[in-house]
Amino acid sequence: MLRFILRRLLVAAATLVVISLVTFGLFFAVPSSPAKVMCGKNCTAEDIAQVEARLGIDQPLPRQYTDFVQGVFVGRTYGEGDFARRCPAPCLGYSFRNNQPVTEIIAQRLPVTASIVAGGAVIWLLLGVTLGMVSALRRGTVFDRAAIGVTLAGASMQVYFFGLILLYVLVYATGLLPFPSYTPLTQNPLRWAVGLLLPWMTLGFLNSALYARLSRAQMLETLSEDFVRTARAKGLSPRQVHLRHALRAAITPIVTIAGLDIGTSLGGTFITESIFGLQGLGKATVEAVQFLNLPLVMATVLLAAVFIVVANIVVDVLYAVIDPRVRLN
Amino acid sequence: MRGRTRTLTCSVLAVALVAGGCTRTTDSGGGGEEKKTKTQTGSISYEAADNQGPAAAVNGATRGGTVTVMQVSDFEHLDPARNYVNVQQVTGGLLYRSLNGYKENGSGQLLLVGDLATDPGKDVDGDCKVWEFTLRDGVKYEDGSPVTSRDVAYGIGRSFAPSLNEGPHYIQQWLYPGGVYNATYKGPYDGGKPVPDGITTPDDRTIRFTFPQPHCDMPYAAALPTSAPVPAGKDTRDQYDLRPFSSGPYKVKSYQRDVALELERNPNWDPKTDPLRTAYPDGFRFTFGLESAQIAERLVADAPADQASISWVDVPPAVLPRTTSGGVAERVVKGPTQYTWVLNINTQRVTDLNIRKALNYAVDKDAVLKAVGGQAAGSPATTLMSPTTAGFKTYDVFHAPINGDKAKVAELLAGQRPKLVLAHSNIELRTQQAEALRKNLTDMGFDIVMKPIENSSYYDEIGRKNNPYDLYIGGWGSDWPTGSTIIPPLYDGREIVAEGNNNLSYLNEPAVSAEIDRIRKLPAAEQDAGWTALDEKIMREYVPVVPCYYDAAYELRGSKIGNAFLSDAYGILQANTIYVKQ
Amino acid sequence: MTTSAVPAPRRGSAPHLRVEELRVHFTTTDGVVRAVDGLSFAVDQGRTLGIVGESGSGKSVTSLAVLGLHDRRRTRISGRILLGGRELVGLPEEEVRRLRGRDLAMIFQDPLSALHPYYSVGRQITEAYRVHHPGAGTREARQRAVDMLGRVGIPQPARRFDQYPHEFSGGMRQRVMIAMALVNDPDLLIADEPTTALDVTVQAQILDLLADLQAEFHSAIILITHDLGVVSQVADDVLVMYGGRAVERGSVEQVLRRPQHPYTWGLLSSVPSLHGDADADLLPIPGNPPSLINLPSGCAFHPRCRYADRNGDRSRTQAPELRQVVERGHLVACHLTEAERQRIYRDEISQVGVAR
Repeated sequence: MLRFILRRLLVAAATLVVISLVTFGLFFAVPSSPAKVMCGKNCTAEDIAQVEARLGIDQPLPRQYTDFVQGVFVGRTYGEGDFARRCPAPCLGYSFRNNQPVTEIIAQRLPVTASIVAGGAVIWLLLGVTLGMVSALRRGTVFDRAAIGVTLAGASMQVYFFGLILLYVLVYATGLLPFPSYTPLTQNPLRWAVGLLLPWMTLGFLNSALYARLSRAQMLETLSEDFVRTARAKGLSPRQVHLRHALRAAITPIVTIAGLDIGTSLGGTFITESIFGLQGLGKATVEAVQFLNLPLVMATVLLAAVFIVVANIVVDVLYAVIDPRVRLN
Repeated sequence: MRGRTRTLTCSVLAVALVAGGCTRTTDSGGGGEEKKTKTQTGSISYEAADNQGPAAAVNGATRGGTVTVMQVSDFEHLDPARNYVNVQQVTGGLLYRSLNGYKENGSGQLLLVGDLATDPGKDVDGDCKVWEFTLRDGVKYEDGSPVTSRDVAYGIGRSFAPSLNEGPHYIQQWLYPGGVYNATYKGPYDGGKPVPDGITTPDDRTIRFTFPQPHCDMPYAAALPTSAPVPAGKDTRDQYDLRPFSSGPYKVKSYQRDVALELERNPNWDPKTDPLRTAYPDGFRFTFGLESAQIAERLVADAPADQASISWVDVPPAVLPRTTSGGVAERVVKGPTQYTWVLNINTQRVTDLNIRKALNYAVDKDAVLKAVGGQAAGSPATTLMSPTTAGFKTYDVFHAPINGDKAKVAELLAGQRPKLVLAHSNIELRTQQAEALRKNLTDMGFDIVMKPIENSSYYDEIGRKNNPYDLYIGGWGSDWPTGSTIIPPLYDGREIVAEGNNNLSYLNEPAVSAEIDRIRKLPAAEQDAGWTALDEKIMREYVPVVPCYYDAAYELRGSKIGNAFLSDAYGILQANTIYVKQ
Repeated sequence: MTTSAVPAPRRGSAPHLRVEELRVHFTTTDGVVRAVDGLSFAVDQGRTLGIVGESGSGKSVTSLAVLGLHDRRRTRISGRILLGGRELVGLPEEEVRRLRGRDLAMIFQDPLSALHPYYSVGRQITEAYRVHHPGAGTREARQRAVDMLGRVGIPQPARRFDQYPHEFSGGMRQRVMIAMALVNDPDLLIADEPTTALDVTVQAQILDLLADLQAEFHSAIILITHDLGVVSQVADDVLVMYGGRAVERGSVEQVLRRPQHPYTWGLLSSVPSLHGDADADLLPIPGNPPSLINLPSGCAFHPRCRYADRNGDRSRTQAPELRQVVERGHLVACHLTEAERQRIYRDEISQVGVAR
């Protein structure tokens, strides 16, 4: 197991290097210059040159990349003379746009996205999986048919559409809920939850639809397995048969997909964040790209990649924990 | 404002749906047509009554409450040395005080008065070269220490630093004319002296500027944030953006970049020293990262939690229909901004005055405006300067119907069918606008060739002296409400350089340049009439552009906001004397 | 006495399991599947009944009906299933559940898929024990399971207790299944093709094990198989099924030595003999098993029967009843006269196959 994880981490590191190189290369392939965007008004050629020097993008590309890598591992010093600023490892640089340390931006943005995803995932896993399982157990009943219909509608609905409907119904028209906002969990758990209710519902319900369909199919397949028949032949109660035997086997692919979904979402839920005006990683990423904010682009892209890579490893480890037939070596 | 770069910034930002101050240049606004073109009565006042604190109380206003400002994106800069955009300037005005400021009461009267200074500045020798300002007694920073003239000088000094180069550079350029403003003096950092040449502080309350050339505009330049005081001991350089040291009625309570900015009262601010601000609310809370549609929807809905809110973001077209009925309509704040959009005619290429006149009869201003959002986005223009300019008087040289006058065009073209290249930015909005123009002009008897240009290099391309285009649309907004930051940069032939031009019609008429020089030497108060007359003269005699439309703001406020009116100085809702209804 | 209390099976008295006129019909979108249609048989304590037939003949459906494992919403079961004198048909699911695994247990064909892949074998066996012995502690259940593993011939049972099914060989896995089925000492054991998935040497071991255990536990066993060799090895009685009905029933001696139904002949002829002439031609039964939704009229076997024409139209129009032949306990459902059947078997069939 340990060796497996070590090997996977090595592959992950290689992946990240490639992704960082590609991101870096693509960034500089774009014809527009960040200095031009950053310089703002009244911008002369001299101003642009000053900004470029300040941002460090006047250096040759390989040098910029090695500086970046060096910053990540051992830190680096920005500027000279009075302006010298030490950026300790892991240094992801300073935002081109407002000079904020990128690590600080990430530290601000990540909890927002993580909170959205956490709440959403709880809803979609609980609601979606339960709905799917119950549907499968009551296959062919009115409940099952209704659930299939609802989930089909849900699965084909878009986040921005559903989110806007919720906003109109619950906020603009009736004022039942306040407009979403983010309060750190540690500061006030109640406000945290109330402020994120709408994005949770949006993300939760829509993904529930997908997970319900997936769970139903998985459960139906598992229920026809021989070992479920064996369990019933042993005289186990339906509850024991369904939860201990069928669910345990049906849940495995769901865990895989949920793990990857959560990993991907942690990299940013741009649409949800935009609809509800939440400053998460998704918005940070998109804005970074639009503003040609290289340090933030690098950080968010790499972070998203890290989440996906880690999610993959976690899923593999979980798989081994769930399924004794899987050996990790 | 130096519109060229500003519009460049705006077009980039518009993609990101950011920057409240910029959206109107590309987004469309609501149905706020100002039919009556008003006459701007703004002027510089040395009247003691105007210059004395405290500011006049607003009828029915109450103290307390917190104003929420909903914004699409965070401010780029709040550091006074880097502060150039209107939303930042209005916000900065809550935190720090410049030498001068604009006094407004919503009636359309715009007065430039002393803010930190006791009056808008003394032209010591009467030749506009030496300016002296006396600071008010009793103005204190948030820590209770007094504001001194040395801090003002230091604030200007640090604005020379290459790392803080985003602000306006009028005073800097005037102190070091010829070449780049900070070519010789680069600010107080890295061993530089704390104060630039030409600035002296004889005592703690006096600051004196000595310019090599006359600058009668100095009272206006002194109203820009650059002259806000920064104590050297509090200078955190590039981190100052996050927390400017307060000399105004509010100080920064918390600032989370891109998320929220909270202002709370500065207990050491004395209303008796301030002729501009009433500072009724206990605080301001800026929320960033919302979409313009969300902001508009929330303000339309006016839920209890949002009733004490405003926004400087124009209402997007999709929400406009819901802002025209009773309860919402009365909460709309609209009016013209400093921007005028014109169809530039490259006078180097289109030398026939009759063709330029014909274009003025031909352009369907209604269609051009419709393409960017219709009446909410602006109103048809006939002048070069915007109605917010001091001394503005409307005129119309051609008296063409809004949709054009085909007979008149035919008469002027006298049988020829000119072939003209129309360049435009390739973003959707501008492409639509150009397409509307092409149809309109083709119908009127021109042959139009469209030439789309990548958005980010649009102004670079048309700013090249020998560009191969005949027509291109551009917007320009003044940095202060007089013609001196409109006419000279746009129509003085001596300003034309190889690249990066603002004079996009490349008008080069010695008579115009001479008139500019004459007006510049007039006392500031007399310049307004001069610029207005020159505006009309240029259009009547040289016809370098087709004025298309005056840009308009269309904003919403919550029902608990009192004294909400559009600032003529900044083109957005004012904040100095706003209050929360209790 | 509470309703959950199940009367103790009456050992020693008349047949332990008695099935009468059992009908199992499934409702599907294509129509009603008559999987079992009027089946009767009985098994005594300590005896083994072999049920043979092609796939789709209703063997497995019958066993699942006895265990009450069919989906009640889609299955109609009628007739009687008497276990130790107690009627199972129509018994509430909850009561049948309490009987399952305790009074009647089942062994399935493929032990790899029949065992849960995620649980250790020990856990699966103790689970079977504890569900019917709620008072049993963990240690007791474990001891019982280890005992059973040892009893079915798994070496080092205490060590293998914690291993997972995939860590066992096929034969060992089937032993685990058997241990699990017998952990509650059931009176009736249904083994559905217990050796089909195993190689031949292991098959014999498992069959021996079943025989030994039967001697020890004195259970009744129903052995479902398509393999007549297996039947001849362990069964006392044989039931031959075709199209959901019994076509021939009797002792192993009667059915395998003196078969009277053409279908039984077919089955016997299609089995290679280990003792006979290796070059002798096998005679597979022509055609395919019938559709259970739309059974052939008359004798269901008639489309495949070489002798169907010998009775005029009777085979096509009239379903033959299962009747006792001259010999006691031997029943056959065929329109041919007994004399004819005996003659055909003697002259045409007995030369080939295991019948010798």
